[in-house]
Amino acid sequence: MWNKIWEWFKQLDDILRGDATRMSSLSRGRIEIPIGGLSVAIVLLGLLYGMCVGSFAMIRTGGEAYMQLLASTIKIPLLFFLTLAVTLPSLYVFNALIGTRLSVVSVLRLLIASLGVMLAVLASLGPIVVFFALSTKNYPFMKLLNVATGTMAGVLGLGFLLRTLDRLVVAQEQMDLISLESKPKKSKVTKKKMTKKTTVTELAAKETAFEVTGALDPLGEFTSRKTKRVFRVWTIVFALVGAQMSWVLRPFIGSPDMPFQWFRHRESNFFIAVLKALVNLFSS
Amino acid sequence: MMLLQINDLLRARPWVLQQGRTARRLLHLALLVVTFGIIYGAVMGTFGGVFGQRFWQVVFSALKVPLLLMGTFALSLPSFFVVNTLFGLRSDFSYSIRALVAMQAGLTIILASFAPFTALWYVSFSNYQGAILFNTLMFGTASIAAQRLSRRFYQPLIQREPKHRLMLRIWLVIYAFVGIQMAWILRPFVGSPDLPTHFLRQNAWGNAYVKLLNIIWTFLGG
Repeated sequence: MWNKIWEWFKQLDDILRGDATRMSSLSRGRIEIPIGGLSVAIVLLGLLYGMCVGSFAMIRTGGEAYMQLLASTIKIPLLFFLTLAVTLPSLYVFNALIGTRLSVVSVLRLLIASLGVMLAVLASLGPIVVFFALSTKNYPFMKLLNVATGTMAGVLGLGFLLRTLDRLVVAQEQMDLISLESKPKKSKVTKKKMTKKTTVTELAAKETAFEVTGALDPLGEFTSRKTKRVFRVWTIVFALVGAQMSWVLRPFIGSPDMPFQWFRHRESNFFIAVLKALVNLFSS
Repeated sequence: MMLLQINDLLRARPWVLQQGRTARRLLHLALLVVTFGIIYGAVMGTFGGVFGQRFWQVVFSALKVPLLLMGTFALSLPSFFVVNTLFGLRSDFSYSIRALVAMQAGLTIILASFAPFTALWYVSFSNYQGAILFNTLMFGTASIAAQRLSRRFYQPLIQREPKHRLMLRIWLVIYAFVGIQMAWILRPFVGSPDLPTHFLRQNAWGNAYVKLLNIIWTFLGG
């Protein structure tokens, strides 16, 4: 079993290094990653980061501290996967409507890969979060620190999403071109897409020529308009749902003034809460 | 022998960061950090005198400077690693890490060279706040000087791949953010002569940034 888990983490490492998203790896129009295995790795990283966030609860005494620690540990992976579940249908539909034409499985793999990137970044910020959690009693500060780490992870994850989406779209178009060419008719269409094909091989060649090609590197000089459109819509949906989901699942850190609860009552929302925390930080 | 190495490091000679024997070089550089950190730390701690109980302040401060630097380094490293990987710079990482440790070694060497100034200040003035401010000044100056050194260490990387410039900036931001809090937690370094000698202050836990914001807020009349 440990071998399997190690394998899955190596897959995640491939994604981070950009190996899983090179043009050569995307030749079949989809990212070759194991959804199940990668999800396990993501859950483990999420549990780890959850523990780091929950360590702030150690300023409480007795059983409540451990309850909050447990709750935070479980909630982080839950947050990410619930956000994915809520947004997946609409993300797929937008993609189909606006024209990047990826299959459901493709979209799912793309999103899971992005989730992997986000959680890898978060887990690596874990030691810093633990350090501050154990050395400060200031609750608004911890809230803002977590917003900051979440933002950093989100930005990098979305950057990965954009670049990979671009590559996938280009790879998909080549696949369509190949299947089109196998049919003798519709010569008008093939002529227009011929330029795209050479672009793909050119780009793949350029990629190997570069000494360094990361997961966040852009492909060619510009991203196509429809890719950008899809990406913009996805970002908004993902960010809004993610932020509000994190509010719904609160508390992750646990206010030292309030008793432990699995979930707080419904009130207000994420964005007002961040503003309040900023104000509190200045006046504490 | 060591003087030659210090010379090479301060002039950012190539052998410092050459390929091969990475682990040994890293260990070497880390040892420099520890040695010179101890030297400056020890001098820092002599403010309240060196006899009796105050001797322990010297020991504690000597231990704390390398602890501060290495601790901050260790906490900042994982995220730096992941960000480097995402930007496609994994293959350069062993070089990057050596450059960063070399930066720290440079910082401690420069600091240790300022130790006589600190000693002179302590002998001249007995004000505790003044002592703290002077040490802050020494750290600040050493940091600025080490910055210039770091540019030289990182230059080959940046020339090969401009993304490293962004990496270095990200590192400095994370390092500074964690380091400030670490310095606050590990206090006292100088040791108020009126208070008994402890490794850490009793009410050590607190937040450097909250304190800073409080000061600013009060200053603004809040």
